[in-house]
Amino acid sequence: MKRYLDDLAAILMLVLLVGVVLFLLGPVVITMAMSLDARKYLGPFPPPDLSLQWYKKFFSEPYILKGLRSSLLVATFATLVSAAIGVVTAEAMHRYDFPGKNILAALFLGPLIVPAVVIGFALLLYLSRVGIQNGLVRLAAGHIIITVPYAIRTTLASTIGISKSLREAALGLGATEWQAFWDVTFPLARTGIVAGMVFAFAISMDDVAVSLFLTDSTNYTLPVALISMMRANFDLTIAAGAALMMGVTIIVILGLESLFGLDRLVGTGIYRS
Amino acid sequence: MRLTRLGLLLLAPAALVYTLLLTLPILTVLDESLREYIPGRIGSTPDTPLTFQNYLEFADHAYLGFLWTTFKLAGIVALIATAIAFPIAHFIARQRSSAIRRAFIGLLITMMFLSALVRVYSIQLAFGSVGILAPVLKQLGFNLNSRTYVEWTVVAGLLHFVIPMASLTLIGTIQNINPRVFEAAQALGASRLRAHMSITIPLAAPGLLSSFLITLTIGISAFVVPWVLGKGRVIFVSNVVYSRFSEVANYPSGSAASVLMLMLSLVIVFAALRVAARAQGGAGN
Repeated sequence: MKRYLDDLAAILMLVLLVGVVLFLLGPVVITMAMSLDARKYLGPFPPPDLSLQWYKKFFSEPYILKGLRSSLLVATFATLVSAAIGVVTAEAMHRYDFPGKNILAALFLGPLIVPAVVIGFALLLYLSRVGIQNGLVRLAAGHIIITVPYAIRTTLASTIGISKSLREAALGLGATEWQAFWDVTFPLARTGIVAGMVFAFAISMDDVAVSLFLTDSTNYTLPVALISMMRANFDLTIAAGAALMMGVTIIVILGLESLFGLDRLVGTGIYRS
Repeated sequence: MRLTRLGLLLLAPAALVYTLLLTLPILTVLDESLREYIPGRIGSTPDTPLTFQNYLEFADHAYLGFLWTTFKLAGIVALIATAIAFPIAHFIARQRSSAIRRAFIGLLITMMFLSALVRVYSIQLAFGSVGILAPVLKQLGFNLNSRTYVEWTVVAGLLHFVIPMASLTLIGTIQNINPRVFEAAQALGASRLRAHMSITIPLAAPGLLSSFLITLTIGISAFVVPWVLGKGRVIFVSNVVYSRFSEVANYPSGSAASVLMLMLSLVIVFAALRVAARAQGGAGN
């Protein structure tokens, strides 16, 4: 009886695994296949003929291209600012000890707890009260506050492992504070900084909820453009866009895999060698 | 080393950004939520007397409906996600083949990182009322235009994000349970199922609870998924905030909804942190 139940549980487990993989991958695979559809309309799956027409349409739509341009601009700017703040903040936390340091480190994660819609709405209200109307400036402000926790977090994590005596040795051997930072701490923290930048760029390129509040009629991001197209009519141009974004995600993941190894990111726990 | 003037200077940019772009905006929302709304005006009038009117609106029937929808669907999502993620995480954590383990972790991380836009579009293209699977689903007797079906597509959209995340966090929980205890239970005659019920699940309970709570906050603050997949019929509190801004420009009411959402998230996150802290405190015993 017991063994019979165990067999049943094993079969259910297999069904669950296959079901979850299908549920996660199925819709994405359908989207990628349909983005290559040669028909002019949304027909049944699978597409009978393949063509790149939706990709051509994607890259010839001025509305999308404009969104892509401001998205790249805002994401690059926000990533650089966040990474710079991450570096100086982590350096201060690495160098100095002061009361409340752990609380401060926790507070830096604050924006992750605040729902994105609240951040967007709050920024909109605040920026219009202080008189900032320019869409690009508002978007940059919003994207900095949602990406900076990731930059600080990853840079901080990479400086924790650096022994303080390395810096002190450099100073003792006659290096200036700046040289000690540039030649010792910075190279050792580099993977953390790069990881923070990858996260920041990905988060910024992907954001919808914060950006929606901060766009104006001429400055909007790519996801905002695509999502309003999606709500207006169901067209396969967005499937092409989605497939391209999926490609970017895969490149980012492969990059992280070669930088750190995804397996190590999760860890193996204490009961495994 | 003690904090010097240079140290303060290094911390200044972060302090400035967090003050200007997070603290002051949230205080502005708090202030705005206590102002009177004058129809036809964008934003509140300064120097009007403070009022709780915007919060009292939430006792209204329609608002309670939005709150109920948000909690009901986020709760369903958190329950299903935790129940599905646990066996998946167990399978990966106790997986002997390194290749299978890596393949699953790679899949889960890719799915977690997937753009929200790609996610909602794909779910809509697959399960939507004009989607690829629509003919099959109709054959199976689903009414694709019913509210219940729309609710389930919202649940599916949220699960698509949350299952990978919950599985990845639970892998850590399961890896920190000593496998010897499970083996001992089996050696003493328990079936695998029985050993899981009386050993693995109780030991993983704090991890399961914090995964449930984290999933719940993600569900409650979700915006894009209910906005697109809900088709204006399934409306979360976050969608109310946006429509107060985009449709009626009733900023005081949108602010009150924002404050409410922020409070809910804070309460649940603190509960999750407490659970995690207690689990860590007890791990040594």
